[in-house]
Amino acid sequence: MCQNCYPSHRVVRGRPRFVCLLFAALWLVFSNVPALAHKVTIFAWVEGDTVHTQSKFSGGKKVKGAPVLVFDPEGNQLLEGKTDEKGEFSFKVQGKKTDLKVVLKASMGHMAEWKIPAEEITAVADVSRSSTAEVGVKAATEEAARLSTDVKASRELSVPTAVSLGRQELQDLIDESLDRKLAPIVNMLTDSLDRGPRVTEVIGGIGYIFGLVGMALYFANRRKKE
Amino acid sequence: MHISEGILSPGVLIVGAGLTAAGVAVGLRKLETEEIPSIGILSAAFFVASLVHVPVGPASVHLILNGLLGLILGWKAFPAILVGLALQALLFQFGGITTLGVNTLNIALPAVICYYLFKWGIRTGTRRLVFNLTAFACGCCAVFLGSVMVGFSLYLTGEAFLPAAKLIVAAHVPVMVIEGILTAACALFLRRVKPELLEGAYVPKLLSQPQGGEG
Repeated sequence: MCQNCYPSHRVVRGRPRFVCLLFAALWLVFSNVPALAHKVTIFAWVEGDTVHTQSKFSGGKKVKGAPVLVFDPEGNQLLEGKTDEKGEFSFKVQGKKTDLKVVLKASMGHMAEWKIPAEEITAVADVSRSSTAEVGVKAATEEAARLSTDVKASRELSVPTAVSLGRQELQDLIDESLDRKLAPIVNMLTDSLDRGPRVTEVIGGIGYIFGLVGMALYFANRRKKE
Repeated sequence: MHISEGILSPGVLIVGAGLTAAGVAVGLRKLETEEIPSIGILSAAFFVASLVHVPVGPASVHLILNGLLGLILGWKAFPAILVGLALQALLFQFGGITTLGVNTLNIALPAVICYYLFKWGIRTGTRRLVFNLTAFACGCCAVFLGSVMVGFSLYLTGEAFLPAAKLIVAAHVPVMVIEGILTAACALFLRRVKPELLEGAYVPKLLSQPQGGEG
């Protein structure tokens, strides 16, 4: 605005300058406010058999107490919950191996969604099934070992199961440590998802507007000449 | 103030887009070559204003400046706001392309309404106090009407009107005050520095082309 008025030779008195300063001050005050954008994002990731979601207004402000809906691919609502004080909401996957769509409905017409592909959940379902199977096998082998320590046949049987047990445990351990190791990366991803508008985009937008003005003037002038 | 994609029903979106197209057409018809730069600058101001945030309660709201745009541009606020919103949707992902029509209507229609409500007070001839108060009221009122319209859009898609509108209006109260002050400061500034910009919106029109028949 001020640039627009600057060329006017009437800017002599102190008042307009004061108003200009006021604008500058306002701008500085508000541009320092961390919440920078008007958009919400939701990010969901699978950990064990639980799906965690994190919701933010971009700029990092948490979305508190907003409803989160979970849908299957056919659009049926599976469950509904609310984000907590940290903007987080977690739920357990119940048995099905479908794609999930997590939808966040923040107030005032803001909405965001995140899709969880079925593969991620299938992996989880497998792990949980194998872990229960493993518990069963473990119990069985312990019993077998207690009851028939002298029966070699059962021992021979239990050796391969022990190997497969090791595999299952290994799998669980890997999953666990991967979850732990990947947590910072997941956090980084959520942060990078909701980055606010950058200076280049702001300047680009202003450039577009001035370009449009130039084009409009060009055509207006050409019409005039004709 | 920006409604995201996928919230409103197709009917609301289509009606919004149609009304916006009509508003833009009216704005462009009234457009004169000399006004193009000021429209561009105000459009740029509108584009950037949405980055100035006021954190309130559970949501975050931002400046809109539609009162100021309406005051200076009148119907031409429609094309200015459409351009600003389109760029915000493309570059910042505020709102969305499908909701562009409804969002433009929600912001630009209050601007035009405020233009007709308050233009009588915005003349170089009026007293300072009256001038300031009208400009302040214009800034406030435009945001208020905009919030009500967002509430109404949500209501048309099935949300309860009163709670939604109350929430949105309540969240925008700080913005109303700030915009009122900003609009008054801008109008005062323009009155001192470039009064033809304020009067340019309607005085030459009334003098030069009385067949325009606005207001």
